Amino acid sequence: MEEGTLRFRLQVLLLGALGAAGTARAADTLWPGPRGGSGGTATCRWNSKTKPPQLRQWHYESKHNRRYKMGLAVWASPAIVLTGGRPTVFIGGYDQTMHALDLADKEVLWRKITNGEIAGPPAVGLVGGRQTVFWGSADRHVYAYYADSRGDFDGRQAWPPTELVPPSNTQADASLSAPLLLDGRLYITCFVYDKAFSRSRQKGWLFCLDQNTGRAIWKREVSQGPVSHPMGRMIGGRATVFVCARKGLLQAYDVSGASPGQLWTYQMPHEVMGSPVVEEQGDRPLVFLGSKFGNLHAVDAASGEPVWKRMSGNWIDNTACIGEVDGVRHVFVGSHDYNVYAYEASTGRLRWKRHLGGEVYSAPSYFVYGGRPQVAVAALDNHLYVLDADTGKVTTSYYTGTPIWDKVAKGETLWGSSAVFEAGEETVIVHGSFDDFVYVYPVSQAKDCELRTKVQSPATLWWGLLITLGVFGGIILPIVLRIPERQPQNDRNG
Amino acid sequence: MPDWLRWLEELVEGATANIKLVDQALTGLEGSYVELLTVLSLGLLAVIPVVVPVKRRQFYRHLNQIFGICIFVFVVFTCLGVFGMIRNFHRGINEIGRENIIALYYCSVPVTVLVTSMLFGPSFCGWICPTGALQEFSYLILKGFHRKRKRDGYPYSRKMLALVLSVAVVFMLWMAYLSATRVFFVEDASIYWSEILVILLFVLLWKMREWDGKLRRLRVLSFWVIVASAVAALRITSPVHFGFSKVYDPASVLATVMVFLAALAVPHVWCRYLCPWREAIAWAARHSVRRLVTDFDKCIHCGKCTEVCGVDAVVEGRIDHHECHFCFRCVDACPTGAIEVRDQWRREPCGSDCRSCSSAR
Repeated sequence: MEEGTLRFRLQVLLLGALGAAGTARAADTLWPGPRGGSGGTATCRWNSKTKPPQLRQWHYESKHNRRYKMGLAVWASPAIVLTGGRPTVFIGGYDQTMHALDLADKEVLWRKITNGEIAGPPAVGLVGGRQTVFWGSADRHVYAYYADSRGDFDGRQAWPPTELVPPSNTQADASLSAPLLLDGRLYITCFVYDKAFSRSRQKGWLFCLDQNTGRAIWKREVSQGPVSHPMGRMIGGRATVFVCARKGLLQAYDVSGASPGQLWTYQMPHEVMGSPVVEEQGDRPLVFLGSKFGNLHAVDAASGEPVWKRMSGNWIDNTACIGEVDGVRHVFVGSHDYNVYAYEASTGRLRWKRHLGGEVYSAPSYFVYGGRPQVAVAALDNHLYVLDADTGKVTTSYYTGTPIWDKVAKGETLWGSSAVFEAGEETVIVHGSFDDFVYVYPVSQAKDCELRTKVQSPATLWWGLLITLGVFGGIILPIVLRIPERQPQNDRNG
Repeated sequence: MPDWLRWLEELVEGATANIKLVDQALTGLEGSYVELLTVLSLGLLAVIPVVVPVKRRQFYRHLNQIFGICIFVFVVFTCLGVFGMIRNFHRGINEIGRENIIALYYCSVPVTVLVTSMLFGPSFCGWICPTGALQEFSYLILKGFHRKRKRDGYPYSRKMLALVLSVAVVFMLWMAYLSATRVFFVEDASIYWSEILVILLFVLLWKMREWDGKLRRLRVLSFWVIVASAVAALRITSPVHFGFSKVYDPASVLATVMVFLAALAVPHVWCRYLCPWREAIAWAARHSVRRLVTDFDKCIHCGKCTEVCGVDAVVEGRIDHHECHFCFRCVDACPTGAIEVRDQWRREPCGSDCRSCSSAR
């Protein structure tokens, strides 16, 4: 064999091996909005045919000495992406810090401190082809840092923080939403209460920034108060962003051009704490949004026409999520009436509702485990539940820690919700809990998880009643009957 | 699930959801004044027994109880379940110095109840408590039956057996339905209290006369179990809790219905044997300023007071203050006015056999 031919064959072989290695590694993923995609599933899927890394339970505590301030979320919702083939979580909270956590090695990749609390989840997109994590802080700035773990750019600033609202002495804390990445631009809402103005002159803004540079392109006043996270997708070839004012005005903007054009508005019946979600598929998708009046509205995303609405028993104060069951799209939403509801997305037909142990404050996450669709939600009984999305049956639950302020600020603050890394038997749920920990719960029953709790099955409930009968009748009652009777406490006169 | 059952459940859910007049509980410094309103209302209700006209006093008392129920259902949020008050009190005490507003939120109602009991006697039990009121209204349905049974010394009877069995069947069927449709946790412990209530009914069916006094000791145990659960941060829901929270709580609904039904068989059965607050209030009211006093010179031993007392706290003029609910039924029923309500801001020394006075001297 000629030397040239041999060298060529060796080169082909080497390239083939490298290529095989390249395809084996999981491709990097993005997290373009507050709950992942526009459907709000909050799930990152393992996308390689190779085995995912082993993931175990993890209780991550942020070591800080910052005093908890009432009404703030301890942890915001996380964003989960694959960076360098490894599942990585980005999560911020009232410690004013963005944490990048490696789920496989259970270590902190980096932390970035800001000057304000981080109430919304981050978004992960690309800047110059590199994975970058974006977030807004109560210090009125938007931050962008490279996300790729263990690389040269690991944790470096992608662009200097962009200040959204210039400071003044009369301003209170700013409330910045989660960023939305759409069509090469970053959208974020911001509200700063300014004591210099009356309530009717306050302004809630929707900002548009260049995703690559952080430069502000335009801003638009969308409310006289706080505004939801923006959510959006391409509809009919144009980029559309949906935002809802706290006072309930749902708005759609065409943001394809140099300046935004309002497409339609829709007034919700009461305050809105959550954010809209949009069907990820189809040309005439629906927008879903719940309100504190307690009903979930489905609105045509193109025209703003109401399609259906369904009433729950109490507030809906978080975002819904959309997932598929038996080939039919369904929308899942939690309510303060202790129930999770599953409605058929196109018709609003109730598929099931499940009563849990407490008010369902979190946005549901949708994922598939063991071939069956599942929904994860957290409730105010300090449990995180995994429900079968087909039947609504509780398949497993976890103890998520004791709330710091429990019922007192209920419905006033949008608390963090869970997100899921879906990877077969290595599937884990990530949840920032009230007790300062970020918990990583394995879904597989075969894996150790000390915080997994047992929902009382009918059998255990009846066993409990039987044991009570035994203990009371066999122990307590005989003891009580042996104690001498108390003498009546009569007065001197009686 | 059958349609009629679903309809019934939705009816209960609908009736108990979103009925609060005030939309939110106290939220920090910017919050509403729900607890302040609650405290004021409770204070007002506690003062009413003092100022109410003697004539038709029982009518006004029932009116007060109905107002009490309305206030708890439409205003109070989470503080006034019989178990929740103890748990929240513990929590509020822990918050003093850290979050004083929160401490006020949690402590306000229990402190009001205890302080009014120290001053005005256990009038909370007889005039305000919604659980007690429910049992009293239940007692009124079979008043004649209960008075006859008391006169006869609480004997075993087939009527009573049928009543107790009916209560037990309702409990078992409801439990079977709930266990198939709901998620239960350790927090839903009110069902175990309901179960104990049913067991007690069977015990009382045969042995009420002999064991009544001894079984009342269970209240102490009930109290300490709830205190222990409060320290362990367990949120045990109590009967009538569903009326305070804004949601339909099936375990609590069942427990409430069981309290009502059990009181049909044995008057004030929850207050007598299981209520932890009855014990706490009895301790607080031990040396209250307002007391019931019997003048035995006037007493003709007619037995009227014994007959009307729902909790067996009076026997021919002799009042057991630890058990008395301050309902004043005995006062109003006494034909000679031998039992009277007396304010004793300054106690006069009595005979040498009185332990408290001799120790004071």
